[in-house]
Amino acid sequence: MNSTALNAVLEANIAALREKLNNSGDLIVREFLIGSSAPAGAALFFIDGLADSHSIHQFILEPLMLQGASPMASGASLPGRLKDSLLTVGQIGEIRSLDELAESILSGKAALLLQGWDFGFEIAMAGWERRNVSEPTNQTVVRGPKESFTENLRTNTALIRRKIKDPALTLEERKIGRRTKTAVAMMFIQGIASDSVVREVRQRLDRIDTDAILESGYIEEFIQDEKITVFPTVQNSERPDSVAAALLEGHVALIVDGTPHVLVVPALFIQFMQASEDYYQRSDIGTLIRIIRYIGLFIALFGPALYIAITTFHQEMLPTQLLISLAAQREGVPFPAFIEGLMMEITYEILREAGIRMPRAVGQAVSIVGTLVIGQAAVEAGIVSPAMVIVVSITAISSFVVPQFNMSISIRILRFPLMALTASFGMFGLFIGGFALLLHLSGLRSFGVPYMSPVGPFHTGDLKDVILRAPHPSMRKRPSLLGKRNPVRQSRRRGGGRR
Amino acid sequence: MRIKGFAILAAATLLLLLATGCWNRQELNELGIVVAMGIDRDGDRFRVSVQVVQPGEVAAKSGGQSLRSPVAMYEASGRTIFEALRKMTTVSPRKIYASHLRVVVIGEALARQGIGTALDFLQRDHQVRSDFYLMVAKETTASSILNVLTPMERIPANDLYASNATAEKAWAPIFGITLGKFVTDLGSDGKQPVITGIGLNGDAEEGSNTRNVERIRPAAELQFSGMAVFRKDKLVGWLNEEESKSYNFILGNVRSTLENQSCPNGGELALEIIRTKANVKGHVRRGEPQVEIRLRVEENVGEIQCRIDLNKTAVVDELERRSEDRLREAMSKTIRKMQTEYQLDIFGFGQAIHRADPAAWRRLKRDWDRNFADMQVKLDVKTVIDRVGTINQSFLSKLEE
Repeated sequence: MNSTALNAVLEANIAALREKLNNSGDLIVREFLIGSSAPAGAALFFIDGLADSHSIHQFILEPLMLQGASPMASGASLPGRLKDSLLTVGQIGEIRSLDELAESILSGKAALLLQGWDFGFEIAMAGWERRNVSEPTNQTVVRGPKESFTENLRTNTALIRRKIKDPALTLEERKIGRRTKTAVAMMFIQGIASDSVVREVRQRLDRIDTDAILESGYIEEFIQDEKITVFPTVQNSERPDSVAAALLEGHVALIVDGTPHVLVVPALFIQFMQASEDYYQRSDIGTLIRIIRYIGLFIALFGPALYIAITTFHQEMLPTQLLISLAAQREGVPFPAFIEGLMMEITYEILREAGIRMPRAVGQAVSIVGTLVIGQAAVEAGIVSPAMVIVVSITAISSFVVPQFNMSISIRILRFPLMALTASFGMFGLFIGGFALLLHLSGLRSFGVPYMSPVGPFHTGDLKDVILRAPHPSMRKRPSLLGKRNPVRQSRRRGGGRR
Repeated sequence: MRIKGFAILAAATLLLLLATGCWNRQELNELGIVVAMGIDRDGDRFRVSVQVVQPGEVAAKSGGQSLRSPVAMYEASGRTIFEALRKMTTVSPRKIYASHLRVVVIGEALARQGIGTALDFLQRDHQVRSDFYLMVAKETTASSILNVLTPMERIPANDLYASNATAEKAWAPIFGITLGKFVTDLGSDGKQPVITGIGLNGDAEEGSNTRNVERIRPAAELQFSGMAVFRKDKLVGWLNEEESKSYNFILGNVRSTLENQSCPNGGELALEIIRTKANVKGHVRRGEPQVEIRLRVEENVGEIQCRIDLNKTAVVDELERRSEDRLREAMSKTIRKMQTEYQLDIFGFGQAIHRADPAAWRRLKRDWDRNFADMQVKLDVKTVIDRVGTINQSFLSKLEE
């Protein structure tokens, strides 16, 4: 970066910055005099809308123009005096080059340059419009905190800090993106997170060389392990509580400015099946919900494929009455079960996508048409059989019990090849597909940690939090692959109650 | 490099999908679901009749049921069963699919000539399971049994299957014989097979019409009656109701049934048998085979048509003793009949001897039919009456005071 040093002549700096920003209309340059006895020329730069003009007036212009008139203490230079006693603002930094000047005002700061000095100050004045902390929209809970991250990096780090008041909670910040200069904060707990993982994350972040990071999804794709897979190896969350829990297990969180989706690495398969509420409800409820969720996962993945396999290859597996009633439903249906299933699945995917993308105002119309297409009308017209509608619907609903949306998308993608396999080979195809999937999953790693742990490689102790959700007093140890530097969470003593 | 390899693999897999031609794939509406099969003699050929479900007529649907028959029957003759079944495609639009076969009925005429050749297909074919019931059409053809529409169960084969299963649980003379069981007995040295008999009552012609099920009392009915006794694969005779019952008692097939008995002072009473346990034990004494049958029966009093005082232990004891006598008598009569009339060991006494003394069995089995006829059978029957029902004294006793 060619870094032009600032000029001692104020007018030259103003002209240079104007030129650098191509005379943008929102650049405000306020020239004024400090003091009245021996007035010194000064200029304040900021971008309208990024900096808070009210604060600028109150904390910069007012003290400088009014109190700057008071007699100058002997010996102190003007910049020193400004810094020490006049600017009543917390965060002040020095800027020495034109590029720094441009960057600081573009990040919402105000910059102050003085006549006759070749450096100036940047003053934190950011005050753009921002959204309040609100309820999470994707990861909702019945019981548990109802706050979610916002687009503001600082708010987000504060939300996490408020949950973990531990000096070991470390925050490393860097700017990624040559043009966007997006702030990315990496948070982990020193002493719990494994050094190798932290080092690996740092390296992968430093390796990113792109001009724009607009959402954490960009970062996710740049840092994920380079293996072709449909499974997500980076978790994202909009819930401060689940990120805090991940940090306490030894994960690393990446908070990207401008998005409420915080990344958590390394991400293991089981994390995608855990919801924060599992830990807030009593453990028996949590366990039951987990089991339901795994059943849902199975149906979402294998449902239509299983139906196709049984009805077109293995009719002998059905009870006679069921076979007859299924056969009756298929009377007059023109397509093979596979085509029928494919049609319904694709229709459903279109409806779902439309549901997300359509303007809110037309929502009702689309949902009415949608229910007709996917349901009654298609059956009555004899295009699909009612049983297939049931299978597709239960599959669709099941895919939503997977708490992480990116995992449920992966499952949806896999459904189609599995359907094609069973349509050609029956159960045999289903098993081939299932085993291939299992092998693939076992081979995956996320930041060096085996994706399927603690199931493969097997760790008996960690199974307390896979399908079961053991009571908190009995979860004494952190997951062994991640938190081995400080494995013990709590003493053996149980909490209150009768002994 | 890895992406290239992956692409090649994916392309190869896709080609493979085309190559299969969807091997063995059959849509549900391309199946002719066979639920019952009948096998008869047709000269020197087999006459095979199958009952195929018409799914649209059977499945639960709103808006009433149509007037079409719930099943269709196809018949064809062939030198082999397989040939006959394949020949049916000349009349049936769908290929015969036999995995859901529930009942196979064999015509009595064929059964008397031997059914071994007919059963090979049913055992060999990969579609057919071996858990369907075998039945012999008593005094009629299998085809006419399959030709009757039944009330309650719309599919006649299901009616046969279900009533066989129900009777097996509640009526001692009936016991379902599956193909697997029949073939096991057929292949065993010390036991001759039996098969449940099925008879047709009423107007056979009217029975095949949907009018048959529109009536409150069907014109034609299918009824189980007794067991057909086989020497190897040839039918040689029938057991009547009483004998079938004894047969099932000896083999421990009885789950629950009832038994009529006369009261000590005239009149009838019925005992409900709720649990039985039979044990056949063989011995060889001085070269002579013997069996001992131990039967333990638990009963409830079910119905009384006479004046007895059930509050008295002596009366209950008396009932138990009479019941024992009756069972013992019926069983020994049946055994004697098999020993003298048929010289046919349908009870598996040979197997009991085999288990008890394999060395002696090797000698005895050479002329087992004769040895069976001469063998000594000891019966040890014990019954216990548990409960007498919800009333003690019959109101009859009050009437007569």
